[in-house]
Amino acid sequence: MTSIEQRRASRRQLLKGAGAIAAAGLVGAPAISRAQTGAIKIGVPTILSGRVAILGQSSVGALKMSFDKVNAEGGINGRKIEMVVRDSKGAPQEAAKVTRDLINNDGCQIIIDAEASSAAFAVQEVIREVGVLCIHTNSETSSLTADPKLYVPTAFRTARQGIHDAIGGGDYAAKVAKAKGLKKWATCSPDYAYGRSNTAEFMEYAKHFDGNITVVEETWPKLFQPDYTEVVTKLLNAKADAMYSALWGGDLVAFIDQANLYALFEKQASFMVNLGDYGVVDQVKQFPQGVYSGGRYNRTVPPTPENEAWYLEYVKTQKSKPTNWSWENAVGAQFLIEALKKTNGDTNGKKLAEAIKGAKIKTPFGDGGTITMRAEDNTTINYIIGYGLSLSKEPYISDFKTSPWEPILELEKQWKKKQGYAT
Amino acid sequence: MTSRWRDLGLAGLGLVLLLLVPVFGAPPAIRDFIMFGMAYGLLAMSLNLLIGYTGLVSFGHAMFFAAGAYAFGLAMQSGKFSIPGAFVLAIGFTALMALIVGAICVRLNEIYFAFLTLAFQMLFYNIILGWVSFTGGDQGLMGGIPRPKFLGIDLADRTQLYVFCSVAFVVCIAILRQIVTSPFGYTLRMIRDNQERAAFLGINVIMVKLACFVMSACIAAVGGILLTLFVSGAYPNFGFWTTSGEAIFMILLGGSNVFLGPLVGTVILRLLNDITVTYTSHTELVLGIVILILVLGLRKGPLDLLAERWENRRQAKAQAVRDAADKDAQTGRDA
Repeated sequence: MTSIEQRRASRRQLLKGAGAIAAAGLVGAPAISRAQTGAIKIGVPTILSGRVAILGQSSVGALKMSFDKVNAEGGINGRKIEMVVRDSKGAPQEAAKVTRDLINNDGCQIIIDAEASSAAFAVQEVIREVGVLCIHTNSETSSLTADPKLYVPTAFRTARQGIHDAIGGGDYAAKVAKAKGLKKWATCSPDYAYGRSNTAEFMEYAKHFDGNITVVEETWPKLFQPDYTEVVTKLLNAKADAMYSALWGGDLVAFIDQANLYALFEKQASFMVNLGDYGVVDQVKQFPQGVYSGGRYNRTVPPTPENEAWYLEYVKTQKSKPTNWSWENAVGAQFLIEALKKTNGDTNGKKLAEAIKGAKIKTPFGDGGTITMRAEDNTTINYIIGYGLSLSKEPYISDFKTSPWEPILELEKQWKKKQGYAT
Repeated sequence: MTSRWRDLGLAGLGLVLLLLVPVFGAPPAIRDFIMFGMAYGLLAMSLNLLIGYTGLVSFGHAMFFAAGAYAFGLAMQSGKFSIPGAFVLAIGFTALMALIVGAICVRLNEIYFAFLTLAFQMLFYNIILGWVSFTGGDQGLMGGIPRPKFLGIDLADRTQLYVFCSVAFVVCIAILRQIVTSPFGYTLRMIRDNQERAAFLGINVIMVKLACFVMSACIAAVGGILLTLFVSGAYPNFGFWTTSGEAIFMILLGGSNVFLGPLVGTVILRLLNDITVTYTSHTELVLGIVILILVLGLRKGPLDLLAERWENRRQAKAQAVRDAADKDAQTGRDA
């Protein structure tokens, strides 16, 4: 079994740390020592408290499931994989400190950064300094790997990229818009960088594929806003043909519950990139039918035996349903395991990075069954992107259309040039 | 004069002790813990200049912590400043900001002052979030903070960074100590205890409060700079109300009536956080229980309690000496 080693090691290290600091004439602080065991120690800073704790837990669940399997088969060259999980509360400065502690204090040789975006950028700076291998498994902000100024040779990403979703989603939306004559669009996204950039990119590519689309109303509810009455009223008054929303998590749940009271989803076509995730599906009182839902994680997407088997195993072992963050972490774990096998368990950051760069893995979450770690910017491509129509009961999504990767990659190149990330 | 030199001597001793940490080969995690503690310690100590010494309960002090962090980070990322230049610029910017905010806030007292500082903080926080092209919005300052060498000092080296932070920290603590033990510091206490009496004595209460507000903001800015150097970035939550709340917790935990109380509170809070986070994700629950025990049980910070007991014992001893002298005198008279 993978040991999520918290209690036992920390107590021992705490005593050592207290001794060391007492020698320096100061009050004790937790912990310090490099791992002396043969285990491969992987540090996982993530969010385990607050409103998005469920996503952090689902990340840890997927990692645990992957590493348990390797350990059950004897580990890597006989070395077991141990995870050391720490809660950063999603605060960037805490994430930076926790990551440093995991390396310096808990003796972790590898970091799987299961943080949301803002903390992921802080972890990236720690990795730049310490040079261990890091896989960002949850941050979808494109610039993390697209911006060459942020590039760190030993840091990789196995999460979706915002720009990929925007191009794929824009293409799908334009096709629907042309078929149904959806010309006037409204938007409803959270008022912070992710919400604004995601919405701008989605609408940009929707217009790129269908020149008749115009945005007639934009609403920007605050993050964690409890009351959406004003927003829903504005959307109704706009009398738009369609709406796009990048709301997520608890905000999306609150918005849907309140919008249902006004029958908003029956009055206009709605596109919601973050709708189709079990974390949302299970929380909404009345899950809307017929909303265009972005692909997050669903047991029927792709409809393969491998995906179904992974879902069932996750539910059986973790006693909960997987989320979008789960599959992203499962992919991160798989890239790492493959790399460790190639290096015969050597955890040197540079050697592992060489092994991961450009690698291709077989996975249930890949378009055509594989996902590639693109060598040029250390990010994954060929994972499943697409939209489907929501159903109010299992499997909650139907008629899922997978976006082809060729146009995504072509338009991504142009986007990079426009952003000044490529020449 | 004697106590001033004694304080400076103690500050020097504190610096030597801090510098001995890497000399004795303390592991990096200990240095990280201390550096993190120094940044937050300056935030709490500077806030206590307002709360403990002047009676101004600010709910928005973290805006100056963030202002220092962002001004320093942006200056360094521009590539046009050396580290000392950016350091001075960040403090200057924060002082100017505190001057403007303080000129409005210090005219009010108690809850009105507290809420106005909170309002300014949220305004500043929303500017950071909204001005994405300049501040990076909710992602913060990305890409790291460049640390070019200056005077042969390389802050990219963790040990040198630790020494730099220690020196800056001790200098700030020494400045705070000089402030609170100076006539200006006693004027602050007078304003805290009876503002009207201070005004009747001819003190320009508004100006003194404003000066105190600006000074404490500058020290908080140094804390923000140290944290920026530590995490190699600046993030909006440096200036969120929860960070101000944390600083108030630190003061509550350590005590507001003893000079180093907030620093002790910082160490307690950070230790509680670092230890509980290894056992559970319910860190806030543990912190909440500890604070409840302190507030309901001790009704003051541990350092305040120790100081009070020390004072009680000292007075009891003095009383015993006086009683003994009286008894001797009585015996002499009887004889």
